[in-house]
Amino acid sequence: MLLIPCPFCGARSESEFIYGGPVRAARPDPNVVSDADWVDYLTVVPNPLGPVQEHWWHARGCGEWLTIWRDTRTHDIVEAPDEIE
Amino acid sequence: MRYDVTLQRCGLSAVFDLKGAADALRNWAGDMLPPLPDHPNTRTGGGGVELYHIGRKHWLARAPLAQEEVLEAQLKPDACPAEISIVRVSDTLSFFRITGPDASQVMAIACPLDLHETVFGADAVTYSELFGLKALVLRCEGGFECAVEQSFGDMVEDYLTLSCRQKPV
Repeated sequence: MLLIPCPFCGARSESEFIYGGPVRAARPDPNVVSDADWVDYLTVVPNPLGPVQEHWWHARGCGEWLTIWRDTRTHDIVEAPDEIE
Repeated sequence: MRYDVTLQRCGLSAVFDLKGAADALRNWAGDMLPPLPDHPNTRTGGGGVELYHIGRKHWLARAPLAQEEVLEAQLKPDACPAEISIVRVSDTLSFFRITGPDASQVMAIACPLDLHETVFGADAVTYSELFGLKALVLRCEGGFECAVEQSFGDMVEDYLTLSCRQKPV
């Protein structure tokens, strides 16, 4: 079980949260990018082996949306990778 | 063997859902409400009214049911400015009171929160889970109070009653 740090409530059980999917790249302008890049944006979900940034919703708590970095290998909540910060 | 607790299903309370910036709410409510709690998931009280800080720019005002009409007349939900929202939600919550020496044991079955006094103090109040349902949890004298959506009231009462009976020996 994860203990997810809510910015309003503090660390809370994962069961209070609903997963909101990975943080995705900004929406490109479909008139500017190639068809392949547009299809990639629409259909390819970030799924790295390692840290991934995710949205979570504190649905059974304060209602806050938050983002965390989770390592898909260990299931641990981790710091943002250096190259991101 | 049964847990040493008293389970009580409470009657309705007057409950108002307040949303908006703290300053805007203060300006509108004036001294009709107790001071807004400074810290997340805490409460203040005064004049029979309790204020629960349950989310960012989100509070619940709770008072005995007898005060509902007076409170509504003072808060004027229909006339409040657009930047705040005041909604009477008295009918939407079923409150339960679990008191006694084993109250924390029963709550530990129902709820994933750390309810030790050092973490969940006397003025603590928060939304969490009760048997997987969104629930308001707070301390009361000798135990805990919790509230779930009204339509789950009977089910949660059954679950709590069963939990009280199952003390491991």
